[in-house]
Amino acid sequence: MSPRAALHSPVFRDYVLLTFGLLTIAAIVLLSLRVLLKKNVRSVWIIYRSWLAIVPAMGAVVFLGREAVIIGTTLLSILGFKELARATGLYRDWWMTGAVYLAIAAVGAASLAPDPATRAPGWLGLFLALPVYAISFLLIIPVIRNKTHGQLQAMSLSILGFIYIGWMFGHLGFLANAGHAYGYVLYVLLATEVNDIAAFTFGKLLGRHPLRSNISPRKTWEGALGAAGVSMLMPWALRFSFPHFSAFELVVTGLIVGIGGQLGDLCISVIKRDIGIKDMGAALPGHGGVLDRIDSLIFVTPLFFHMVKYFNGLV
Amino acid sequence: MDEWHYQPVSDLEQSLLQRLRRFPREPDMLCYGIRSASALALRAWLACYHRFTIIGRENLPATGPYVLLSNHSSHLDALCLLSSVPLRRLHETFPAAAEDYFFVNLPRMVLSALLINALPFNRQGRTRRSLALCQHLLTQGNILVLFPEGTRSVTREIRRFRPGIGLLLAGTTFAAVPCYLSGAREAMCKGSWLPKPRRIILTIGAPRSYADRPRDKGSVLQICRELQCAVEQLQEGQFTAGSQPVPKPALSSSATMSGGPG
Repeated sequence: MSPRAALHSPVFRDYVLLTFGLLTIAAIVLLSLRVLLKKNVRSVWIIYRSWLAIVPAMGAVVFLGREAVIIGTTLLSILGFKELARATGLYRDWWMTGAVYLAIAAVGAASLAPDPATRAPGWLGLFLALPVYAISFLLIIPVIRNKTHGQLQAMSLSILGFIYIGWMFGHLGFLANAGHAYGYVLYVLLATEVNDIAAFTFGKLLGRHPLRSNISPRKTWEGALGAAGVSMLMPWALRFSFPHFSAFELVVTGLIVGIGGQLGDLCISVIKRDIGIKDMGAALPGHGGVLDRIDSLIFVTPLFFHMVKYFNGLV
Repeated sequence: MDEWHYQPVSDLEQSLLQRLRRFPREPDMLCYGIRSASALALRAWLACYHRFTIIGRENLPATGPYVLLSNHSSHLDALCLLSSVPLRRLHETFPAAAEDYFFVNLPRMVLSALLINALPFNRQGRTRRSLALCQHLLTQGNILVLFPEGTRSVTREIRRFRPGIGLLLAGTTFAAVPCYLSGAREAMCKGSWLPKPRRIILTIGAPRSYADRPRDKGSVLQICRELQCAVEQLQEGQFTAGSQPVPKPALSSSATMSGGPG
């Protein structure tokens, strides 16, 4: 992945055209709802405006290449973890927070570094073994500080933050080392967000039965099933992203995005409900915090990554 | 097993703008880092470009809360006073900045909240609330930087001190440290945007407190007069000392050019 490769990549070009097409269609739909049907689309409009900033930013990062994707993913992980830390109050412990920042930076470094044995980009062995080192590192922080009070909670939250946000989401950065990086990275980003939007739309139009009433009252079975249906079709529609995939792999890809996307959303909701907050932050108007936006990706990316690695290897 | 208690930060769902405007601000690692780095850069700039000199640094209390107060004639004043406190107390030093000037748009808010750690002081209407906030900060052991003149003076003369400073100090043990800054107006007078390479000298006077004064109008005004006197004495002391290479303003061309009526 590099700017030159992006210019010559038909996959990258097609995704750029596709996303701008989708954004234009969304704008037309919103405008016609507003003008023709006199509906109040204000809240959706705020969400859409944020997309207008997010999509070009993501496109620019992918265009800039492998390093930009890995660094961008690492920064997003750090921002996401910061939101979790601020929401739980772990952020008041600067030692633990700083240690998790370092561990997340190590995820980025392992994705950037070449494999010492094969010289291939991305040190996969270290990347997959990193939780061992990171957890040991986080556990010795209280030992170094000679402190016990409240440390179990701090350690648990920082390990959750590192594994869940730093390492699992970090797979997105490592995906940039793959041979079909444009197809993989752009597919995961687009399909997961389309899945989210489909769940929202189906839920609004047909939603009757709550999916998990205690966790997220606004999510419905209708929305989840509709989104899963759309996600099952997406790999076939965007088959040009991974022309080497068998039919079985396409089905698995659809299931990962369709089911994983909803689960990621619900998992963040469990955390938010337990703390008693509505959003993880206010970084993205209409969406909430960064974590509210990347929650589905956190689930989808590692599963997709390991599916690809199992069937095809990363080259 | 007991339930865990989460304590979300109080500005969790606030946007950047709201978080900059609010006070007291939640401590933020990135913000502290940027502020420390910029304080170092600022000290280097003042030392090189303005040959910033501090006389009487030993007068600063080593620990505990105190109020630094000085004459006010330039935007550089707060920066100079901020550079006189030890770096380890940087994040507990709050220069009071006019809310109606420094907290009105994003660039000024970033500058004052992020880099200067300014306390938004309301000059109109809600002065008492701002003073209560100052008192609260002092009770927690912080350092305040105040300009009792209330606004930047355009002449060498020190304007009459506003009663707020007396109200804040009467009947409390908080130390007040009077200071006099010379050269800041010549370096960057009101209305100019680029500082000139003039020498700036900060004279720090002996700390004092007014624990035995009642909180009535007479003693409040008396405290103001005494503090103003102390600052004026530092001003005279700087000129009569003779060893300071500060030209008399009457002979200085820069002083007349800076628009003073006298």
